[in-house]
Amino acid sequence: MDIAFIKLDDKAAKFVLSGATPAFANTLRRAMISEVPTLAIEDVRIYDNTSVVFDEILAHRLGLIPIRTDLSVYVPRSECTCGEAGCPICTSTYTLSVEGPRTVYSRDLIPQDPGAVPAEEDIPIIELFEGQKIVLEAHAIVSTGREHVKWQPTTACGYKNYPVVRINEAICDACGMCIEECPRGVLQVEDRRLQVVEERLELCSLCRLCERACLSGGIGEEPAIHIDADESRFIFVVESDGSMPVQEIIERALHYIQKKSDDLVEVLTEISGVAVDEEIRY
Amino acid sequence: MIPVRCFTCGKVISPAWEKYKERRDAGEDPKEILDDLGLERYCCRRMLLTHKEIVEDLNPYQ
Repeated sequence: MDIAFIKLDDKAAKFVLSGATPAFANTLRRAMISEVPTLAIEDVRIYDNTSVVFDEILAHRLGLIPIRTDLSVYVPRSECTCGEAGCPICTSTYTLSVEGPRTVYSRDLIPQDPGAVPAEEDIPIIELFEGQKIVLEAHAIVSTGREHVKWQPTTACGYKNYPVVRINEAICDACGMCIEECPRGVLQVEDRRLQVVEERLELCSLCRLCERACLSGGIGEEPAIHIDADESRFIFVVESDGSMPVQEIIERALHYIQKKSDDLVEVLTEISGVAVDEEIRY
Repeated sequence: MIPVRCFTCGKVISPAWEKYKERRDAGEDPKEILDDLGLERYCCRRMLLTHKEIVEDLNPYQ
């Protein structure tokens, strides 16, 4: 198995995973979406709210604000020693106290822990008019996307198979009909030969409009161009909501998969009563 | 108020709203503004394109 990064920064990553099965690619995608924990506001104590929105709408908007998460500091409440009471190890507390007229932004949330600040400071929470006031206390806890999307560390996160373009030069007359049809601009004609534009192959969405265009030219039963999907190579796109860098999301998802399979081996060993051979294990 | 995130993909789009509104009211083409603000997918773009602010209309009826 091999990973080659096309792009990697804090907000987004694009990489090609080779030599994997569709099952593994989907496992990785699902782990990144729903098994990597982050912080999100869960409980809100509202002392005063005379704005135009209801308390629950306000609390919902607060919940959706991504929060920078350092998982070496925070643990899920169920694993905390405080017994689900809420302590600085499992809960991050914020206070918000604003009087109108002005717009309340996410940067107005004052965190107890300066490390767990909102990932974006310009998120408008509510517009307050003359005489309106909001006073509240919010508690953020660690959980996973499995429970609610607000704990998802990723926004867009998915993959597609690597496209394979085969051109049968014996029957292709370079008429260019497929080029006009291609919505991603993958094909071109050079020296009267149809070919893939350099570095645009990965943009192909496997829509196969080129195959249909080729057939509509009256070439016969078989099109001169074939689009196939490489079942062992995947182009992944992962975007972070800002709660943690994309690289950390990928690493934590892979650690999760590793831990899950190790746990399975342990359970099987327990049931069968026979130690699994190290060689078989790895 | 503009939703905090895109309904479909979950990208945080609300910080772009005030800039978008300002530039749209100045007569700029929405396509150019959205490209400039880094909203690539059509799910995120429709969030701003189709949004109507009603907070000010609601305010007198408290």
